[in-house]
Amino acid sequence: MAVLEKLHRRIVDMGLVPRIIASLPKISIFCALLSISWLTLFLPLEGQYRRTYISENALMPSQAYSYFRESEWNILRGYRRELENLKDLDIHERNTIVASWMEEYGAKTSINTNNQYGETLYGIVHTSRGDGTEAMVLAAPWTTTDGLYNNGGAALAISLARYFARWPVWSKNIIVVLSADPQASLRAWVKAYHTKLDLTGGSIESAVVLDYPGTNDYFKYIEIGYNGLNGGLPNLDLINTAVHISEHEGMKVSLHGMPFVELSQDTYKLRLKTLLSGIKDMTLAGIKNTTGHEAFNGWRIQSVTLKAHGQDGPFDVTTFGRVPEAIFRSVNNLLEKFHQSFFFYLLLSPRSFVSIGSYLPAAIALSASFAIASADSILNNEYSKLPLLSIYNIWALFAFAVALMISFVTAEAFAYMPLPSLLLAFNVALSFISFTVIKYKIQKPFSYRFKAFAHLYFSIVLTSLLVVNFALALAVGVLAFPMSLTKTTTNATMQQKLRNSLLLMSSNPFIASWILCQLFEAQLAGTSLFHSLIDAWTQLGCWTWYVLCIGWYPSWILVAYSSIDSIPIVTTSKKSY
Amino acid sequence: MWLTLTHGLIFLNLFKISVQLQNIDTNSFTDIENDYKYDSVESSLRYDDDRVNIGSQGYLKPIKNEVMSDLDNNKRVGLFSMEKPTKYPFKEHLELRPLPKNSLLSSFQFHLSSNEFSIDKSDRSNNQYSHYTVFPRSISPLMDNTNTRQVHLRFTHGIWDHENWGRLPHDGRKSGGSGVELWAVIEASDHNTAFDQWVKLSNMLSGLFCASINFIDSAKTTYPMSSFQPGDGEEIPLFNASNKLYLLRGALANEPVCTENMAPFIKLLPTKGRQGISTLLDGHKIFDSQWHSLSIDVTTVCESNSCHYEMEEFINVAINVPTTLARSVRPIPKPVDGSELRCDNSKHYDAWTCFPLPESIEGKYELSKIFGKYIMGSNSLSGYPTQTCVQVSDNWKALVKVDGSYFSTDNNCFDVKGEDWHDIYLETDDTTQVDPVKASPVYVTRSLTGYSQDKGGLRAVFKNPTSEPVELVYFESLPWYMNLYLSTLKIESKSGLKISDVIQSTYYLPAKDRERPTHLEYRMTIPANSTFALSYQFDKSLLKYAEYPPDANHGFEIESAVVTVISPVKYEFRTATLLLTLSTPDFSMPYNVIILTSTAMGFIFGTLFNMLVKRVVTVQEADKAMTATGLRGRFLVIKEKLVKMFKRPKPKSE
Repeated sequence: MAVLEKLHRRIVDMGLVPRIIASLPKISIFCALLSISWLTLFLPLEGQYRRTYISENALMPSQAYSYFRESEWNILRGYRRELENLKDLDIHERNTIVASWMEEYGAKTSINTNNQYGETLYGIVHTSRGDGTEAMVLAAPWTTTDGLYNNGGAALAISLARYFARWPVWSKNIIVVLSADPQASLRAWVKAYHTKLDLTGGSIESAVVLDYPGTNDYFKYIEIGYNGLNGGLPNLDLINTAVHISEHEGMKVSLHGMPFVELSQDTYKLRLKTLLSGIKDMTLAGIKNTTGHEAFNGWRIQSVTLKAHGQDGPFDVTTFGRVPEAIFRSVNNLLEKFHQSFFFYLLLSPRSFVSIGSYLPAAIALSASFAIASADSILNNEYSKLPLLSIYNIWALFAFAVALMISFVTAEAFAYMPLPSLLLAFNVALSFISFTVIKYKIQKPFSYRFKAFAHLYFSIVLTSLLVVNFALALAVGVLAFPMSLTKTTTNATMQQKLRNSLLLMSSNPFIASWILCQLFEAQLAGTSLFHSLIDAWTQLGCWTWYVLCIGWYPSWILVAYSSIDSIPIVTTSKKSY
Repeated sequence: MWLTLTHGLIFLNLFKISVQLQNIDTNSFTDIENDYKYDSVESSLRYDDDRVNIGSQGYLKPIKNEVMSDLDNNKRVGLFSMEKPTKYPFKEHLELRPLPKNSLLSSFQFHLSSNEFSIDKSDRSNNQYSHYTVFPRSISPLMDNTNTRQVHLRFTHGIWDHENWGRLPHDGRKSGGSGVELWAVIEASDHNTAFDQWVKLSNMLSGLFCASINFIDSAKTTYPMSSFQPGDGEEIPLFNASNKLYLLRGALANEPVCTENMAPFIKLLPTKGRQGISTLLDGHKIFDSQWHSLSIDVTTVCESNSCHYEMEEFINVAINVPTTLARSVRPIPKPVDGSELRCDNSKHYDAWTCFPLPESIEGKYELSKIFGKYIMGSNSLSGYPTQTCVQVSDNWKALVKVDGSYFSTDNNCFDVKGEDWHDIYLETDDTTQVDPVKASPVYVTRSLTGYSQDKGGLRAVFKNPTSEPVELVYFESLPWYMNLYLSTLKIESKSGLKISDVIQSTYYLPAKDRERPTHLEYRMTIPANSTFALSYQFDKSLLKYAEYPPDANHGFEIESAVVTVISPVKYEFRTATLLLTLSTPDFSMPYNVIILTSTAMGFIFGTLFNMLVKRVVTVQEADKAMTATGLRGRFLVIKEKLVKMFKRPKPKSE
């Protein structure tokens, strides 16, 4: 204790506390900068990330020889050829025909019809050696993410299941799922599987989604999709297994749409690029076009999407099929659920990652910067000595409740009546509130207290989000940061007003995310972002919309309100001390 | 009563026999000589020591009952006519039935019967030497010591394809849920004694069958009310009139069934897998099947004061014929050679493209190819020759192959005679046409629902495709860590059925934590042509950390529900087992917690101790004290002393 005591006295002696309090705004900015530089400068450095490894010994990827080759190739092509003929059929007719094919080799099939999202065909290959309580899913949506006919993927799924049915090694059932699309329809099936399907094959352990459009025999490289909804990620072991197997077959593995030329390099720049696009994809998971594996999120299902890229290349379609084959053999070995490896990680390349312990400081620093900004609004002004239960605090709390209510109403109303342009216009107008409202002045202590509450709340939101959905917490935190730079003004100049308004506009949840998507995400051009956000919530259960509306918007409203020009007030409540 | 020994046997087992001979009652000895002719048994008794033992302890009690004419007959009658008491009470029968989808059901049936014994205590003590002939030596003490009147044990694994294969063999009476299932009728004075006997019984069986049956404790034991009842006309004797009979039942879901469980099964047979149909029982083939069930039923049958045990040992196997045949040719199911591909010529077909044809409908196989072995001669112990029957439709040809030549019979039943190796040959031009299977009267599937780790739901779908209502009893025994809410019982039905329409009566015994399972029995009527689902919700309990099984944890097995159809037919089957995931702690967590709490406690203790021991002073005082006591202070004191030491002489000199 003596050491702490000495330290404390030294701090008091040096007068550090007032100095620290005085420089709180600077510390806040420093924290934000630290956060970003930790992520972008520090983590991709050699030595700061780790190489991936298979943690669960039972997986043994690529230890068994994969036999999906030779004459299986003919059969695969046979199915693919017939599927090509079924391309223009109504999905129900197509499903009925394919169901009869699957019945031939002993699968039990059923068609689940969802009135809203179309119907899904699934077949269960019951394995005699397993106890029938666990299952692995092989899914191939009829249309891929890019809206193409998933001919290769579906043919692979059908012929792989036929091939699997012959093997006596399976300890888990195998379920083949052919859904209308990789988004809502597949999600609806997974939901139905866990609530109301009559034909079930046990609890699903893992899912592999195949994306191989067209009838071309060759492809160039494979892309593995893994970002789940709401920050959920598959166990790193599954990704490692998939990467290991793909590379074992000789293929290059791409993540987050990295182009082929960049796959053989391992540079600081590329690691940073993968890291950042990973964070972007994770933030927009479910909102951006989903590739299929997101549908399995929750229910403790580990899932990945395998997507074939390129029309020409040295790899054959059966080589692609050997990847799910070997993944299934690996998962089949598991006696337990996936639990060994990491559930929270960021990938820098297919073979390198940073775990939660390394990347979390970035998000913590960010949420700390808001907490410090909040402290700044309380301490660094003439009203810092107001008692806790002063009228200003109580009114600020009330105002916060009102802001929360407004945000909630906005979220719900917009879900019913999606008018993105109106929403954006309204928020732009709100950003310039200090220009429009001239006669009304806000009392100065209110201005500070509102900001304090806003930043404190936002800091709490970030903190609670940062473990669950790191990418979203980081993105929201960075985008909202300008909000903490707004200043309380008295008799503001035009320049001050403009500065505040621009800061507000750039940190508005809707405007900021919209601008970001315009710049970096071609898939969400125009106002489609807002429709996607609502769809992601209703179809997939992705809560990003509510994080924006209920986590971010109330704080912003309070800050916007506090940016109205203020009049100083002499507080007499000091006496109550 | 003992038999005179034939000369050929004596030298092999001389010592044993001489001991036994001392116990021979001379009166009965002569009786036997008078009315018993001992002939053909001896010819069979030269194979090995085992059989010599059987012979030497030979059987002799005539049993009066009629031969059981139909093995599937529900009515339990004495099996063995011993009017010519030349043989042992043992009978074996193999029934083969091709099933749709290229499968073959083989039903191995063994019937054994023990010697008569008297239930009169005094009688038994007088004649304390129990005699075992073909009846396994290990079973009788098990029944006697635990006062068990009936015991039923099932080892089942795999999936019976109800849709295609119809009803289970023997109307489901001989198969259990996936894993191990045991039920017994125990005579006891009260409930607790019955349970103690039950524990004893399960422990004994556990040792006998190399299975974890001893894990059936009170938390897994139920007392069925209307399921598992004895068959019609079956009387269970009560040895002591003041006692009562208790029916107890327990199951271990997904207990792996393997060769080490089957070896004891075969050992219980007098033929020990070396004669008759038991020679076919090869673990590699039995356990490579789509579905298999091993069952043992021991019952006590009494007539006035004289009783005997009857044992039925059944092994039913459903094997996929093409897979099994292919596996003997190619142990690894590699892709077939391009030239062997069977392609659909009506679809696009070339050297690179092949739409596969369904499995060939022609079938031609021998039993020896499926089991890898032959029937090595008839069992020579009993008066009933080993019999093999094939149930096929007219488009099948069933032949028996002996010594390279084939024979056929009108009813497709073959007696295995002599010591020749027999084989059954089956051929058809259309394997999809089989002897029509009896459709299952009702289908029940069950699944777990729900998302979270703290609660879930159980959903059972009942489907009656027939045009008459089906009455059944639905039995469910759920572990205590599923906190069931019966109030959440809901019915989903498209035809608007209400719960009261289908459930006639409910028996519900709620679970007690760590003591007993939830026991549910519904008596239900499933209306004709209807499908509905019953569902209820449950909470998942948190287990103590030592209650998690020590092995790899992938969830907790929930045993199958038992469906007993009462009308229009008698039928019994189980749903699939389920896997329940409970929230499982990271087991290294306790150590982290220990470290963290220790640190916190150390910190708190240190602070508290400081506060108690140290004096509270102002900063100034503290500073003063510091200068006196600190390292620096001490240094100053020493310095001062030194200075004083050197300064002292000065004033003197002045």
